[in-house]
Amino acid sequence: MAPRTETAGEKTAETFKPEIVVLYCQHCVVQDADLTIAMKATSRFRAKLVMMPCTGKIEPSHLLKILAHGADGIQVLGCPYQQCHRLDGNLRAEKRIEYTRQLLHQIRMGPERLGMERGLDFSGLQLMLLAERRADAVKPLGPNPMKGERE
Amino acid sequence: MIIAEWKPIPELVRKLSGHRRILLAGCACCVAECAAGGEREVETLAPLLRLALSVEGHPLEIVTRTVERQCEWEFVEELAEIIPKVEAVLSLACGIGVQAVAERFPEITVFPGVNTTSLALREEPGLWTARCQACGDCVLGETFGLCPVARCAKSLQNGPCGGTRKNGKCELDENVDCVWNLIVERAAKRGQLESLLRIREPKNWSNSFHGGPQRMLREDLRP
Repeated sequence: MAPRTETAGEKTAETFKPEIVVLYCQHCVVQDADLTIAMKATSRFRAKLVMMPCTGKIEPSHLLKILAHGADGIQVLGCPYQQCHRLDGNLRAEKRIEYTRQLLHQIRMGPERLGMERGLDFSGLQLMLLAERRADAVKPLGPNPMKGERE
Repeated sequence: MIIAEWKPIPELVRKLSGHRRILLAGCACCVAECAAGGEREVETLAPLLRLALSVEGHPLEIVTRTVERQCEWEFVEELAEIIPKVEAVLSLACGIGVQAVAERFPEITVFPGVNTTSLALREEPGLWTARCQACGDCVLGETFGLCPVARCAKSLQNGPCGGTRKNGKCELDENVDCVWNLIVERAAKRGQLESLLRIREPKNWSNSFHGGPQRMLREDLRP
């Protein structure tokens, strides 16, 4: 069996296309957003969009299960501070995300695999750019080991 | 309620390494109330452990099940169907629940997933404080409903100790109220300060852990 070399590692890093799951609040995306733009596979990452009634619906178990199913990263998109349609759902989400990031740090998965951005009236293109931002953060960590791609 | 908290994840990972399929068993009673071992925590810890073991190169399949109470035989029995299909059990119940499962299913290893810490009250969401140590000789009637055993760092029966901070907090922990300060304040409010002048006799500690394992028997309830 050929030994692993730096060259092989670099090649893996080059070909690694992070799979990013984007969990977004229904209220922070424009109604007629062209979501197909964000869903389109690019040469650098893949994004899957999931609409939520409110980011306050997100539990740590949801985030960890998404990662346990092989996603390389999760980008959560919520409403700005004090503009949550459910009063404080976005604040609850922030606390749960921070808690989950600490858990990911403990197990050496990398807290960078999970993040949250805030805003209103996101377009399809903006969703794609935010997914890309998470993909860029995930890339140095390599693929999710649950995929069995590290060997 | 009995409160507990997750054992450190690296400790759990070390225990579970080498297993291929385990049961993660939750308890929907006290440990659910203190957010350590209910269904929600089981469904959080299961993917977390799978990820952690995957990082370590030990993929693990985790079956999850939460029973109403792991400290009652009737509910423990619900695990009987799954036990033969797994190599070990990780129980998120308190120490009582872990022992009940281990006693009912002696053929399998049962790991505790939490450290049981105390008998506590939920003061507000996310904050639990110890209120009882099951000392077996309750004095709450004499201390205005405030427990000097569980809530005083020294379990003083005649307090305060003199180390109370100016803001009424314990000298050992600035986040903890000095219970004897609270007792004095409550006594003053009721106009019964003089009742605290009486020197309290040493407690009978033989009813608690100091007296060895406890056993309670009620003949009228036995079959």
